[in-house]
Amino acid sequence: MSDAAIHIKSLRVQYGRFTAVDNLDLEIRKGELFGLLGPNGAGKSTTIRVLIGQRRPTGGSVSVLGHDVVREWARIKPLFGYVPDRENHFEEFTGNRNLEFFAELYGVPRLRVRECLEMVELEEAGNTLVRGYSLGMRRKLLLARALLHNPRVLYLDEPTANLDVHSAEVVHRILRERVSQGATVVLTTHDMDEVEKICDRVGIVCKGKLVALDSPLALKQRHTERQTDVILATGERRTFDMDRDADRQALADLVRAGATASLQTREFDFHATFLKLTGQAFE
Amino acid sequence: MRFYILRALVLKELHRHAANRGGIALGLLLIAAAVMLSVFNPAGFGGGGSSATEAASTSVVGGVQHCFVCYTRENSDVIPPLVAHLEKTVPPELRQRVRLREMNADRIKEGVYYQPGVASIRLNAYTAGGQPHLRIDVFHPPGDAAAMAPFENWLWREMRVGLQEIAEQKLKALKVTNANLPPIVAENDDLWAVRESFAALRRDADEWHAGIVPEVQITREGLGGQTLELRSAIATALVVFALYFACVYLLPTLNCEERERGVLLAQALSPASPAEILMAKFLFYPVLGGALAAVIAGIYKPAVLSTLFFWSGLFTVAAGFLGIGMTIATLAKTQRAAFMGAMCYLLSVSLVLVICSTNGIPFVSNLALEYHVPRVLHASLSGSVHSVHWLHLLAAMALAAFWLVTAGWLFKRRGWQ
Repeated sequence: MSDAAIHIKSLRVQYGRFTAVDNLDLEIRKGELFGLLGPNGAGKSTTIRVLIGQRRPTGGSVSVLGHDVVREWARIKPLFGYVPDRENHFEEFTGNRNLEFFAELYGVPRLRVRECLEMVELEEAGNTLVRGYSLGMRRKLLLARALLHNPRVLYLDEPTANLDVHSAEVVHRILRERVSQGATVVLTTHDMDEVEKICDRVGIVCKGKLVALDSPLALKQRHTERQTDVILATGERRTFDMDRDADRQALADLVRAGATASLQTREFDFHATFLKLTGQAFE
Repeated sequence: MRFYILRALVLKELHRHAANRGGIALGLLLIAAAVMLSVFNPAGFGGGGSSATEAASTSVVGGVQHCFVCYTRENSDVIPPLVAHLEKTVPPELRQRVRLREMNADRIKEGVYYQPGVASIRLNAYTAGGQPHLRIDVFHPPGDAAAMAPFENWLWREMRVGLQEIAEQKLKALKVTNANLPPIVAENDDLWAVRESFAALRRDADEWHAGIVPEVQITREGLGGQTLELRSAIATALVVFALYFACVYLLPTLNCEERERGVLLAQALSPASPAEILMAKFLFYPVLGGALAAVIAGIYKPAVLSTLFFWSGLFTVAAGFLGIGMTIATLAKTQRAAFMGAMCYLLSVSLVLVICSTNGIPFVSNLALEYHVPRVLHASLSGSVHSVHWLHLLAAMALAAFWLVTAGWLFKRRGWQ
């Protein structure tokens, strides 16, 4: 039996003549925290829209927990939670009432509302009207709503946008906890540090195609430039390639001779890697 | 359909409206207006007429838009040429408003039920004491004889001309060529002057040959039935507005607001099915509008709440407006578009009804729910339900069904987004 929670096969989505997603093949495992990265218009949001059943694929197929998204949408809906990139609350209701309404739809007890508000540290603001919430509070309320029914799959579109460092940490903790409990989490983000910090695997999409798929660590190893920048005592700048014996030997000689004023290895740069992979790096 | 989901969705709508004080204030204003109508009720309903010929109440536009000139050819050698003359001489501005209608001799003496804005002139020839008579009955709107002025201006002048032409032809056939009948008094539409003019013609013609010109008898009578009673008309307007406000204004705007904010998406991604979301709206808004309308009607006239016709009418109107509201909600993408859609719909229908009513365009008005609705509700509220109002109710039911089917079809095609 496959351990894939989400199975995307030859997915193709077109808006008129524009191809938003082009022949995407992807498997996301159960209990995995998967990051979907890509520049604007790469097809991330369209992919998520297909996953939540809001966009019919032009071609290919998508299944979530063994159910076809198009044919069995009604069966899939209670299984996933979704945090959209744009907050969508009833402004005239309190945070509490917003969650109570969705709790009633999901058929979960009201006690769970309190738990979820506490989870995102909004218990004190629970009786405040949402129109009085800050952007960060609204985003946390979205996460609380998505967690109400303990979904087995969680989709998040930039979940930590507009959050302060502490709140972002809280969100990261919650997501890791969900994953440790066996849930599958798919998030899109532009925060490379976030991806590196919490994601088990990362898929980088560009122009509707998957250009890289691996763990952040593997990507780091693969794309780290093994070079060392040296400033000599004379002020001259030199770069040594650590993959070449001659360069390694020359650098060692300089160090032994005390001719180096400064020495720095080039660390992995996720931003640079992302830009390189998506073809958007400056020459 | 799951009860707990429907309950949650309906309660959500209720809470949203409870949080919207503007809507509550408007509802209270409508109820206050109904209370004032009920408390300050000095005269009760308008008086009814006993005439066999009656006019329905609830005219959208006052005055006379159409005038039937009814006649019978039976037992008369004067009416066929006279009608031919009248037909030829209808002035262009009245051409759309005058209808010449032949009836049989029995029917012309019977009562006829006229629609609002319609009057009648009947020509009936008969012989009495060996002398020909022409009876002209003018049925004008109750209390508004002056509304017939444009028609009478034409009718008396041309009838006088026509009768003189007929007399001259008859005298010519009798080889009388120097009859020198009196000049036509064309300008005056005063009834005495008209009668005198016809009498003078008859006297002069009789000098040459008796019975050539019939004796003209003119009667004027207000159409029977109730006049448009202003108070029940206002009550009708309040009831219609309550339903319109709930179903055609609130439903699309709040629905589109949910869509625009993405809250509709959040609900659709929950276990609630699109059909349940739709059903909750279908349950809530007509009930809200219907309850408000029933409260207003009940305050104005409590007895109306025990009549089947009122409830049938209210249910039909609520269903029809719900269909219209959902159609707008499905077509409009934003809250602003929904608001504009509701307003445009209201203005368009009002314009079409007024244009059709004033220009005598037939049939088109019947296609508008708003043409039948005030008539049905006003008949209930004024307590004057005739068979024609049941026909209006049937037509309203058919139109309500049409709108509901259209809304359902559009919803299915375009989806809840």
